[in-house]
Amino acid sequence: MSRAQTSGALALLLVILVVVAFPFYWMVLTSFTPRAALFSPPYRLFRLDLSLDNYRELLFATEFARYFLNSLIAAVGAIVLNVVAATLAGYGLTRFAFPGKKPFAFGTLFSYMFPPMLMAIPLYILFSALQMRNTYTGLILAHMAISLPLNIWLMWQYFQIVPVSLEEAAWTSGASRLAALRQVCLPSARPGILSVAIFSFALSWNDFTFAFILQTDRKMFTLPVGLASFVEQTGVHWGMVMAAAVLVSVPTFLLVFFLQRYLLSGLRATG
Amino acid sequence: MSATTERRAWILGTTAPALVFLLVIAYLPIAYAVSLSFFKKTAFSPTMKWVGLDNYRLILDEPELWSAFGRSVVFTLGSVGLQLALGLVAALLLNRAFMGRTLVRSLFVLPYLLPSIVVALVFQWLLSQEYGVVNQVLMQTGAVERPVNFFGGLGTAMWAVIGMAGWQYGSFATLLILARLQAINPKLYEAAAVSGAGTLRAFWDVTLPALRTTLIVIALLRGIWMFNKFDSIWLVTHGGPLKATETLPLYAYRLAFEEFDFGLAAAACSVMFVVLLVGALVYFKLFDPTREIEVGR
Repeated sequence: MSRAQTSGALALLLVILVVVAFPFYWMVLTSFTPRAALFSPPYRLFRLDLSLDNYRELLFATEFARYFLNSLIAAVGAIVLNVVAATLAGYGLTRFAFPGKKPFAFGTLFSYMFPPMLMAIPLYILFSALQMRNTYTGLILAHMAISLPLNIWLMWQYFQIVPVSLEEAAWTSGASRLAALRQVCLPSARPGILSVAIFSFALSWNDFTFAFILQTDRKMFTLPVGLASFVEQTGVHWGMVMAAAVLVSVPTFLLVFFLQRYLLSGLRATG
Repeated sequence: MSATTERRAWILGTTAPALVFLLVIAYLPIAYAVSLSFFKKTAFSPTMKWVGLDNYRLILDEPELWSAFGRSVVFTLGSVGLQLALGLVAALLLNRAFMGRTLVRSLFVLPYLLPSIVVALVFQWLLSQEYGVVNQVLMQTGAVERPVNFFGGLGTAMWAVIGMAGWQYGSFATLLILARLQAINPKLYEAAAVSGAGTLRAFWDVTLPALRTTLIVIALLRGIWMFNKFDSIWLVTHGGPLKATETLPLYAYRLAFEEFDFGLAAAACSVMFVVLLVGALVYFKLFDPTREIEVGR
């Protein structure tokens, strides 16, 4: 490749890098910018007079902590149920021969494509009748609807590469199927299980549509719905809103920089 | 317990939870929505009245449905096209070795995994007419004379939403394309170079054919999701201004929760479901997913 081409590619990469990175930079910088400065544009693209006031206001003068707790409960519930259901299914689907696996595979992948809005309207009506709106159980079930299909798929694939010979060795030494599953199979499947947990967390944490439609009581708002209500009010305090955006993104940053390989294994499963 | 009974118990015990959850929380609501579309049901009356195909007659005659359908198509084509273009360029650049590549790649993964609310808030702030830094830079450089009302302008709102979706979901394409690029046998490029092919020629003859399947998969999956996208659009425009960004899912939402006609909303959802079904059938026709897993017979 010629020198001109190389420097052209480098320039293009820099442009794309700025486009990708600038929104992050501006979000973080705004969150540390003093309120007074935010109401007097034009803004400086760099500044050093940073303050924590926006974060202080967010944590002590809004319902942020409450929304955080709600989001966390929903995510933990979704993780637990997903891990149990997907791990069991992955084990059963790979360790036993029985008819109906093919339709199950298609049914699972098809439901992976279901958009939230298509499920949210009927769930609103069903949950209203069952008094399950504005409950954690209802929200956790709704979040499972978006994450379980992919998770079943992940574990189905993952248990295929966990060798059966390890379990067989345990059986011959007298272990029951359950003991072999617990002591041999599950430890080898740990990376797959971790992927499932991460995906369940991310999809639940990121969800806006279900929580917005099902959780109408302010006390039950999750972070995305609560944050959306910040900008519905007049006189948006963008410094505080960006502080909230930063805090909500922290898990995403941690996942991407520390657990990326588990995330990538899941992406590949999506085709 | 006999061996067969035990085996049956294991099969049932391991697969039943997943199966029941899938049926109850994913398929049941969809089936309920479809059946609801044959009834007159509003939020204020607990009773349902069978109306047969009336809801469909009403909604298929409704120009609003077709404008929403058209906007969904525009949004899908625009944002998927942008995602593919950005994803391809970014992946080609990231496929080259340079210092700090791992860090840059992580940065490129971030947007896709961010909550939609974060992306929506950041873009509203960046593109704000009054306080947005983008308008500030455009004004300072003299590119525009008056600040642009990106999300609030009739002519700009759809493009702004498409741009935002491209930024957020382009990284999905980047990752998949990058993974495919790294699996291309370098010998193919050597062979191309030996036969005198330049960079562009090698891209055309080696890279693009290798990427064909990946690009189709991305276009199909992202197309299905973008067509039915609710949160990103709702959060920045609520479907406005004057319904300029009211795509099909936002229209269904309005019917259900602002006009309180669940029957009609269900009919709109059924139209979305048909589009999803067609997309899924094409996907399954092109790529048999059961090749990835052992299904026995």
